[in-house]
Amino acid sequence: MKEKEQVYSRHLKKKKTLEHLSKWGEVLAKIMSPEGKPEALDDVIVLDVSYANFAGIIAASLLAELGAETIKIEPPEGDPARMMTPYGVNVDGVGIPFLMEGRNKRYITLNLEDEEDRENFKKLVAKADILIETFSPGYMDSLGIGYRQLSKINPGLIYVAITPYGHYTSKAKEYSKIPDTDLVAQAASGLPALIGELPDSPEPYNWPTRAGFWAAWYIVGVAAAMGALLALYYKKSTGEGQMVDVASFDAFSSCVGFPATVGFVWGRPRPRYGILDYGLCPYGFFKCKDGYVAIAAFRDQDFRAILKILGRWDLEEDWRYLLDRITDDVDKVKQLNKEIEEAVAKYTCDELLKKFSDYARKSARSRWRGGGLPVTTKMLSPEEVLKEKHWHVRKVFVEVNDPKYGSFVVPICGKMSETPPRVKWISATIGKDNEYVYKKYCLNRRNER
Amino acid sequence: MQEGEDYFSFTNRLFDQSKVQEKPEVLKGIRVLEVSHMIYGPNTAKILAQFGAEVIKVELPFYGDYWRTATYWGKYWKHSNPLWHFINHSKYFVTIDVKKPKGRELILKLAKISDVMIENFAAGTAEAWGIGYTQVSKINPRIIYVSLSTFGQFGPLRFQPGWDLLAQGASGVISITGYPEIGKRYKIPDYLGDFYPSHFAAMLILAALIYRQKTGKGQYIDLAQAEVLIRSLYHFTYKTITGKDLGCTGNFDPTMAPSGIFKTRDGKFIALAIATDQQFKMFCKAMKRTDLLKEDRFKNVFNRLKPENARELIEITREWVSSKDAAEIINLAKEYGFSASEVADDVQICNDEWRRQRGSVVCFKDEMYGELVLAGPIVMLSKTPGRIKWLSRPLGYHNRYIFKRLLGLSEEELKQLEKEGVIGYWDDRVGLKPPSYYDIEKDSIFNYNKE
Repeated sequence: MKEKEQVYSRHLKKKKTLEHLSKWGEVLAKIMSPEGKPEALDDVIVLDVSYANFAGIIAASLLAELGAETIKIEPPEGDPARMMTPYGVNVDGVGIPFLMEGRNKRYITLNLEDEEDRENFKKLVAKADILIETFSPGYMDSLGIGYRQLSKINPGLIYVAITPYGHYTSKAKEYSKIPDTDLVAQAASGLPALIGELPDSPEPYNWPTRAGFWAAWYIVGVAAAMGALLALYYKKSTGEGQMVDVASFDAFSSCVGFPATVGFVWGRPRPRYGILDYGLCPYGFFKCKDGYVAIAAFRDQDFRAILKILGRWDLEEDWRYLLDRITDDVDKVKQLNKEIEEAVAKYTCDELLKKFSDYARKSARSRWRGGGLPVTTKMLSPEEVLKEKHWHVRKVFVEVNDPKYGSFVVPICGKMSETPPRVKWISATIGKDNEYVYKKYCLNRRNER
Repeated sequence: MQEGEDYFSFTNRLFDQSKVQEKPEVLKGIRVLEVSHMIYGPNTAKILAQFGAEVIKVELPFYGDYWRTATYWGKYWKHSNPLWHFINHSKYFVTIDVKKPKGRELILKLAKISDVMIENFAAGTAEAWGIGYTQVSKINPRIIYVSLSTFGQFGPLRFQPGWDLLAQGASGVISITGYPEIGKRYKIPDYLGDFYPSHFAAMLILAALIYRQKTGKGQYIDLAQAEVLIRSLYHFTYKTITGKDLGCTGNFDPTMAPSGIFKTRDGKFIALAIATDQQFKMFCKAMKRTDLLKEDRFKNVFNRLKPENARELIEITREWVSSKDAAEIINLAKEYGFSASEVADDVQICNDEWRRQRGSVVCFKDEMYGELVLAGPIVMLSKTPGRIKWLSRPLGYHNRYIFKRLLGLSEEELKQLEKEGVIGYWDDRVGLKPPSYYDIEKDSIFNYNKE
C-alpha cells in the first residue's frame, strides 16, 4: 500500500486538495522525464575554448544539457583543467570534476597559436552561435581571433568571456595576467570574509574561511550561461550577436548583492559570525548528540515553537521579538546561541526531527495561526545525500557505466515539462571527436591529431 | 572600430557604462507575474526585470513579502529594508489576497496576459489556491510557469518545509564547509542557497522562452534549490569513484596545491591558489624558490595534490606570505601571473573603483529614496545590458497603475476591492510604507488616473 504523504501546511489540509496533489505528483514524475522530449537548444552550436578554468567548462555543460551541440576545443596536450581534482585522484589521467562536467560534449584539439588551426577555428566560428573563452583579456585579440575580428566573420556570434576582472576598465588591463581560480574569486568577491569563527576565537579559525565547494566557479558558470541565453534570445529576434563579459571577482558580491549595500548603509564591514546570522536568529546548524541539525526561526511564532520543542520556554520573555534576537551586539546574541547549543546537544538527530515534525503537523492542523512552523533537517554528508530516496525518484543522480572510466554518478538538476535538461553521455578523451567534427564542419586535416 | 586600436580602448567603448540607459532591453515585451516571497522567487524575477521584462510582483495586502521587514540587525534605511531593494528593483508592486475568490480571479486575469509566472510557496500551495500550473495552463497554454522550492514538486520529500539553510544542509554543502579538527561547520552566508539557484532558474526560463520563440509552446519548470546545490558538487562523483567522502578541508581547496587563505606581514588576508604547472612555475619564480621545481614530488599537478606534498607546499606558502605585505604579493601576482587577491569585505566591495567603473556596483539615484549603492548585473552584455530602473516601492504602490492599465478596472471597482480587502496597502510598519519625507498623495503613479 502506498504510504500517505505527510503535509505541514494548513493550505493543504483538505481531502480534495490532497487527492489533486497526489495525482498531480504522479503526473509530474512522468512528464518531467526527458525520454522522447525535444531539446530547447537543439539548433545551437557552442564552442568552448576555456582554458584552465572551470567556470567556462560549467557554462558549456549547462548549454550542452539543454541540447546545444557543444564542442570543447583543447590544445593537443589537453586543457590543464583536466588535472584539477581532489588530492590528484584521477581516472586514466582525467580528474573527477572534468569527468563530471564532461556531459554531452564533443572533444577536439586545435592549436590556436598555429596559423592553419586558426583558420579551422574561424571556420567553426562562422557556423557557431556561442563562443566561450577564459584566456587573459586581449590574448585572443592578439591572435586575430578576438571579438572584434570574429564578429566580422560572424555578426551573429555571441562571444562569452570569463576572467577575474573582465575585459574592460583600466584595472582589467593592468591585472590581465592574473589567472582565475575558484578560491581567489571567492575571496575577491567577499565570501570568505563572512565565514569563520567569531573575532575573539583562536587563530586561524577566526580567519576568513572558504566555502567548501567551487562556489565562485559555479556562480560564474551559471551567470555566463544565463548571459549567453539572454544574448541568444536577442539574436533570435534581431540576428545580431554581442559580447558577454563575466568577471569572476564579482561572483559572490553580484550574486547575493548584500556586500555593496551593507558597505554603503552601515559603513563598516560585517565581522565573521561563526554559526550566528545577521538577519535571523537562531539560523544555523547546531551540534546534537550524533550529528548536526538545522535550527531556523523566521517569525516570532517559529521561535516560540522551537523553545517549546527544546523545553526552554523560560527564554521566551527575554528573546520574544526578532529585534531582540538580531542585533549587532554580538555578546548578546552569543548568549542565546549558547543556550540553544546546550539545549540541542541533549538530543539525538532523530529525537529532534521527530519532535519538530510532530509539532509542525499539529500546528498545521490547528485553527490557531500563531503556532509557527518550526523547520529542521539533518546535515547530510554527500554519502548520505546519495542514499536519499527523494533524489532518486527525481532522477538527480545519473548513473554512468563507461568502459574506460568505470561506474560513477553525476548530478543534474532542473525539471522542465517540454525541454528538460539531460545527460546524454559522459566523455573526456582528448581529441575523441576530431574525426566527427572535422568532417562535419569541413576542416583541414593537416596531420593526424 | 579603428584599425590598430588598443584592445582595451575598444572594449571600454563596447561596454561604455554611460551608454547603458540608451541601449535596447533584451526582454522588453515579456511580462512576468511574480507571486512569490523572500528571496528565491523574487530574485529570479528581479534578474528578468534587470534585462527588461515587465515584472508584476503580487504581495498579500497589509502584510507584504516577509523580507520587507526582515533586515540585517533590525536596522532600516529610510523606512525600508536596504537589502530588499537589490532583490526587488525595477518591478511593479501590486497587492492581491489570493484566498479571496475575487483575488484569485484577479491573479488568473493577470496570468492570462503574462508570458512567465513564478511562484515559490511550499510545494502544492499554489495548486491548492487555484493558481497552480494545472489551473493557469488551461487559460494560458503559452505560459512558462515556474515553481521554485527546496525539494521540488514531486518526490517523497516535496511537502517538507524548506529554506536556503535547509537546502544547504540537505545537499551536503554544509558538511563540506568548515574545520573538521574543531568540529565546526558553517552555512554559506547571505542566503546563497536562494540567490545562486535563482540565477539557475532565470537561465532555465530563458531556455524556455527561446523554445517558445521557435514553437509557440509554453511549459512547466520545477526547480528545487537543493538540487541546484547538489549539481554544483563534484563530491558525489568523487564518492562513487573512490568509495570515500571527501569531507571538509578548511581553507585548502583540495584541487589546487598550494591553496589557502594566508595572513600577511601587515595583518591582511590573501587568498592564493596555484592550479597549473605554468602557474606553479611562475609562483616559484616569484617566491625565488625555483629549487622546488626540480623536486619530483612537486613536478606535476597530480604529485603536488597528494596530501603530504600539498601540506608541505601550503607550509612554504604560509611562511612566504607572512614575510611580505599584501601589496607586495599582489604586485608579484600581477607581474608573474599567479592567482591571488586580498580577501575583500563589504566596505571594500562597496567602494571599489574597479566595480564602480565596471558597473557591477552602482550608485543609483532613485526618485523616492535618493542615492543607494547596490550590486549591478552579474553579467555584462555589450548590446543589451542589464540596468536598474527604480528601487523598490511601498506595498501596493502600483495597484492603480497596473489594474487600470492592464485589466481596465475603474476607480469604483478598485475602491470596492479595497473595501473588501482583496487589495490593500501598507500600515505603519517599516519596510511596507513610503519614507516619512515622501508625499505619496502627490505621486502620480500611486494615484494613477484617480480623479
